[in-house]
Amino acid sequence: MTGKMNASASTTISPLQSTPERAEYDLYFGPAHPGSGNFGVKLKIAGEIVASARADPGYLHRGFEKLMEYRVPIQNSVLSDRICVLEALNWNLIHAEAVEELLEIEPPERAKYIRVIMAELSRIQSHIIWFGVFSIGTGFDTGFKLAFGYRDYILDLFELVTGGRVYPAGYICPGGVRRDFPDGAIEKIAHVLDQIGRMVRIEEMENPVLVARAKGIGILKLEDAIKLGATGPVLRASGLKTDVRKDEPYEVYDRFDFEVPVRKEGDAYARYLVGIEEIRQSVKIIKQALQQLPEGEVIAPKFRRIKLSTKIPEGDVYVRNEVARGEAGIYMVSDGGDKPYRVKIRGPSFLHMIPVLEHLLTGAQIADVPAIYWSLNVCPADLDR
Amino acid sequence: MAAKEDLEIMDKITLEFKIKCEVRRKGRIWLDTPTEGFVDFCKWLKEQGFEHLSAISAIDWPDESMCELAYHLWSYQDKILITLKVKIDRQNAVIDSVTEVWDGSAQAHEREIHELFGVKFEGNNNLTPLFLEDWQGPPPFRKDFDWREYVRGKYYDRQNERERVYYD
Repeated sequence: MTGKMNASASTTISPLQSTPERAEYDLYFGPAHPGSGNFGVKLKIAGEIVASARADPGYLHRGFEKLMEYRVPIQNSVLSDRICVLEALNWNLIHAEAVEELLEIEPPERAKYIRVIMAELSRIQSHIIWFGVFSIGTGFDTGFKLAFGYRDYILDLFELVTGGRVYPAGYICPGGVRRDFPDGAIEKIAHVLDQIGRMVRIEEMENPVLVARAKGIGILKLEDAIKLGATGPVLRASGLKTDVRKDEPYEVYDRFDFEVPVRKEGDAYARYLVGIEEIRQSVKIIKQALQQLPEGEVIAPKFRRIKLSTKIPEGDVYVRNEVARGEAGIYMVSDGGDKPYRVKIRGPSFLHMIPVLEHLLTGAQIADVPAIYWSLNVCPADLDR
Repeated sequence: MAAKEDLEIMDKITLEFKIKCEVRRKGRIWLDTPTEGFVDFCKWLKEQGFEHLSAISAIDWPDESMCELAYHLWSYQDKILITLKVKIDRQNAVIDSVTEVWDGSAQAHEREIHELFGVKFEGNNNLTPLFLEDWQGPPPFRKDFDWREYVRGKYYDRQNERERVYYD
């Protein structure tokens, strides 16, 4: 009897052992997966291990680069909101900077401070969403709800200042900003910053679920990070201290005192910690900007009344900014007409979601796929454009 | 205004490759390169610290029958951005790939340009389309492909009263 049982046990166990001849299976993570956004990854699975991963983008491709060739800058300014849903104001800013550099105009001082304040608020709310989606990807649902609750404080602020909660409709436009802070905005920003402080304290509590799922997972070595073109928090979590705001200060970032957080580990948890520290540094920047905020105009005289037929001088520029996800760039070419001849948009997620993600997923466990995916602070919208 | 680091790298480039550079503002160098020895020049630049390929842009100039490629390179140590420009023939748009220099990032950028501008990168082993599925038409981001014309022809009907506005 016992001998028979042993024999049957050995026959049932053997197929579970992983052998080289074992078949690989296809597993599609996204685009209809609740945890992937409008983006897919085609995985080849051998047992529990991802044998290879292939990114499958294109579900949000709207072709902004070409759409902008048909429109004048003031229309493109509104269009630039949509490049990334989660940080519309940062993309507004970089588009405005590219046009200004071609037109050789300088926005007024007060506008520059307002731009910095709005861009940093946008970065904070984007990082809070990052915390939210990362939490839900690792099974910590409460984090998601907390994040979207606290993000709403900033959205209220956006509504007060720009008129739109998510899309500011070109609030940061070439020449400055559309309108000045309304009455009471500064006090309200100060109040919201206190709320953000509470959110950061919640994030810092080292939730055991999050720590267990994120520590030691998706390790990106520094040499690979540079080779695959990682930027922003992903690169900083792998150990390189770089930030466009420090390396090539734009607007008035050189007047503020802030740190660039760096970690050595390069795993999902390190990226998460870098994200938290960046929120704190952004709060620091906004507080300084509110203190130094000068009086005066908010839009350059040339742009006070919008003329649709402003000719853009011939030439080309490449502008870089640090957005929440990393390095953003716009390359704008003009042939002297009123519309840009060519606009190239460089979104940070393009490289994070194709080479970096494919590299990190290869060899990972299936269960870790969402954790690795969301730890990269991805946005399918700025990958597809 | 050019800073000291800008001048240093410019002197080196002019000395080694006889290529003229232009500084637009601090930390921004622009230069035109010939297609011969292009990959070697890129390799040399990477050795000088330009480790990060920020982006590759393609600009289509149908009037001059030319396609221009702009490579935006960033040096983490010197904090300089170099934009390299290469001109290739538009009808026979072929250029050597820089994947051996900048690896994964170059491969992804080249894939995008291959799909949208129809430029062939020799040496890049993965040029599968990223965004468009089953697209048989011309490269859609080229200047002679008019999106509005295409949408009108494909999706709108002149006889339909509500869609007639798109033809006026």
